[in-house]
Amino acid sequence: MFHALIVLLYLFLLLPVAAVTYVSFFDSQFLSFPPPGYTFHWFANALDQADFVSGFLTSTQVALVATVIGVVSGVLASLALVKFDFHGKAAIKVFLMAPLLVPGIVIGTALYVFFLQIAQMTGYNATRSMAGLVIAHVMLTIPWSVRLIVASMGMLDRSVEEAARNLGASAWTAFWRITLPRMRSGIVAAALFSFVVSFENLEVSVLLVSPGNTTLPIAMLQYLEWSMDPTLAAASTIQILIIGALLLISDRFVKLSQVV
Amino acid sequence: MAMSNLNARRIGSVAGLLSPATLLVLGSLVLPMLTLLRYSFNAYDPIVLMRETFTLENYLRFLAEPYFHEVILTTLAVALVSTCGSSILGFPIAYFLARTQSRFKSLLVVLVIFPLLVGNVVRAAGWIALFGSRGVINVTLMKLGLISQPIEIMYTDFAVIIGTLSVVLPFMILTLQGVIENVDFSIVDAALNLGASRAKAFTRIFLPMIMPGVLAGFVLIFILCMNAYATPYLLGGPGYKMMAPALYDQISSAANWPFGSALAFILMAVTVISTLLVTRLTTRRRR
Repeated sequence: MFHALIVLLYLFLLLPVAAVTYVSFFDSQFLSFPPPGYTFHWFANALDQADFVSGFLTSTQVALVATVIGVVSGVLASLALVKFDFHGKAAIKVFLMAPLLVPGIVIGTALYVFFLQIAQMTGYNATRSMAGLVIAHVMLTIPWSVRLIVASMGMLDRSVEEAARNLGASAWTAFWRITLPRMRSGIVAAALFSFVVSFENLEVSVLLVSPGNTTLPIAMLQYLEWSMDPTLAAASTIQILIIGALLLISDRFVKLSQVV
Repeated sequence: MAMSNLNARRIGSVAGLLSPATLLVLGSLVLPMLTLLRYSFNAYDPIVLMRETFTLENYLRFLAEPYFHEVILTTLAVALVSTCGSSILGFPIAYFLARTQSRFKSLLVVLVIFPLLVGNVVRAAGWIALFGSRGVINVTLMKLGLISQPIEIMYTDFAVIIGTLSVVLPFMILTLQGVIENVDFSIVDAALNLGASRAKAFTRIFLPMIMPGVLAGFVLIFILCMNAYATPYLLGGPGYKMMAPALYDQISSAANWPFGSALAFILMAVTVISTLLVTRLTTRRRR
């Protein structure tokens, strides 16, 4: 009885994802149920949509760059937070989580007016370039990086690094050969999670995109304003598959159940 | 001397390690937010768009216009209903995940996180496929003979609430799961052994133990609902009156930056005040 309820609730949770995947196989121009037949045709059609392809490329590039910058600064900050005790540590932790506390649409608005203010002063307009998106997305990845890496380092035994130092290893060697390899799982999880968070972000980015510089979720949003059809469903399905794969890989490195 | 030298080096390395992340958040969040706050006291001008001054007119305009009262009330109502709904639907899964010994537990948790990371647009597309006039729900209901004509589901409060609820449901499940995992169930067992009925053990022992965590989850999810943009926009239609779409409109279409900035801070202020109010009310009642 209880298990039946759990199954039902899981179905509800996965219903929209399942529905959009199902529609992507409909052999009809429009969204009408039941479909006359099934086809793979819309996947080819989705890959022919210039907006989706360029959106996908922009999203991927932005997510890659943001992930690298976010994870590197996240690793450094995590080292400070785990290895040292210092005044104001709790405050710094909260501060680094701040991007999760401010509404996405407010962050996007603030960055938009800030970039235009800078453009007025310097002539460089970040709202018309990928740099603006990268800056915004780096900020979004930092809380997740710090959270995931600190969580994975919490279990590290500091005495191993101290032993290496006592046995004559330099601080750098001890870090490079002992500490960093043991942070690997946290770093991999942080990188994959940051990539996904950046890739699917909509609220923060929606004011920062410009024609020719649009991310995939926003290209899909703009498409959805006109119509919901199997082509959009196919693009969604591709995104669902990519994110599902990344999620399963990152779960192998850090049990997501322990950190999210 | 050597000691203070060591201390100085330690402080140096802490500062060095922390500075990239801290400076990035400072430069891309704090400074822009301060700019936005300053703009909210500027005046809108139809010709030059924004005049630098110091006025409260943007905040007063929000108070004066009934349209925006409706916007904020709708936002609060949708957020409250979605938060309560997600806690009712989320509790069983959270309880199950917290107590299960199944070796598939990790996979089941990933299944909860998965829809979260697929993104709001994709999930909204899924709901549109289900809700449309020729979508799965309407066609099924007509086949069953329960309705003779398609009912309007898209662009209604119902669609927005179901959409928002499903967006926050994974967050609710994960929060509740964490809370329930920390419960010491031997206390519940003790109550049962001492003759308490299951219902009594649940309401008198279990619920009070999880209440603080549940409340924290409520606040987090309520904030998320208050800020929803894509879901109300796509499922409620372009005219749906909620704060995040209204804010976007002011900045991008109306190009009224001062008023848009004020809306941003009003949205945050209303969110903070209402969460404080709910927290205060619920903790006082328990005392």
